[in-house]
Amino acid sequence: MLQKSRKITFILAIISAIIGVMLTVQLRSSLHPIHKESRSIAELRTTLQKELEKHKNLLADISKYNQLYYQYETSLSEDESISVMKEELARTRRMAGMVGMEGEGIVIDVVDAHPAEEPVVDEHMPVPVVGDYTIDDEDLRWLVNILFANGAQAVSINGHRLISTTAIRNVGDVIQIDTRTIRAPYEIKALGEPEVLLSALKLEGVEENFQLANKKVLAEKRDKLMISANNETRVIQFMKPVKEKGDS
Amino acid sequence: MWLPLIGLIVGLVVGFLLDWRVPQEYSSYLSIALLAGLDTIFGGIRSFLERTFNVRIFMSGFFFNTLFAAGLAFIGGFLGIDLYLAAIVAFGVRLFNNLAVIRRIVLSKWINQQE
Repeated sequence: MLQKSRKITFILAIISAIIGVMLTVQLRSSLHPIHKESRSIAELRTTLQKELEKHKNLLADISKYNQLYYQYETSLSEDESISVMKEELARTRRMAGMVGMEGEGIVIDVVDAHPAEEPVVDEHMPVPVVGDYTIDDEDLRWLVNILFANGAQAVSINGHRLISTTAIRNVGDVIQIDTRTIRAPYEIKALGEPEVLLSALKLEGVEENFQLANKKVLAEKRDKLMISANNETRVIQFMKPVKEKGDS
Repeated sequence: MWLPLIGLIVGLVVGFLLDWRVPQEYSSYLSIALLAGLDTIFGGIRSFLERTFNVRIFMSGFFFNTLFAAGLAFIGGFLGIDLYLAAIVAFGVRLFNNLAVIRRIVLSKWINQQE
């Protein structure tokens, strides 16, 4: 009997211990709830972006100072630094389209599919209209974008080299590239890997699109293609360089 | 007699030392389970005072009620029915019932002793 009652008390003790654990756990969770992430994915993404930017800036700072340190350490001779600067300048000029380039590429000719049977009567008509459609600025922009998207390094339309600020737009019945009027037939040159560019044109359905405007697209590969420099004078206005610094 | 109390204190201490925390969304299930456990404890005390205490019933009641209450609340969450409210009401009423009975028994015992 005594043993039985001892067993009972033992069981009671175990159960009250379990109750005690539950009680404290409940108390703890209600007093200090677990902090859960309540920000949305978009917010987190922007935060991450900001942090990555910061990180990048800091890394850039580090590399800059490392370079400076290295320069001080080895005490670069003056000639060397000037040659480095010249090299960098040349590279930048190439990237900005300020020098003529040559290399592999493709030439795209956009010509009338069926030459007009009767000669154009109106001499003052600016663009020979074939059918109801003509080539728009939009078509050219689209075409150029396809080329750039597929790795074209330099593109020119009718000899006008496209640069980062180039605008292609309709002005009246004609298309202007940076205020210079261009007329059909359009010849677009692009430097890049010819196979990739040609297959991109095929994939995007350039030919079909231009067929709607009764134009034929003749694209061909060239092993040696020359694209002249952009010779617009560019005035830098409305902007100046920002001294970027990571907040350290 | 003091062993259950010591057990309770040990449980409290262990709970504090373990530092477990239940996520907010599961906290209601734990509270239901806790309520069921308390109900069983008071039921046990009452039956002990009424001399009808049975360890097997007590043990099975404790575990079964605790798990079933939490499980029911969980299933209710799935079905979109607030079943945990039913559990709270049921256990709450029984808890107060048991407390009233215990009080009466203890009081009558005490009065008997006085006389």
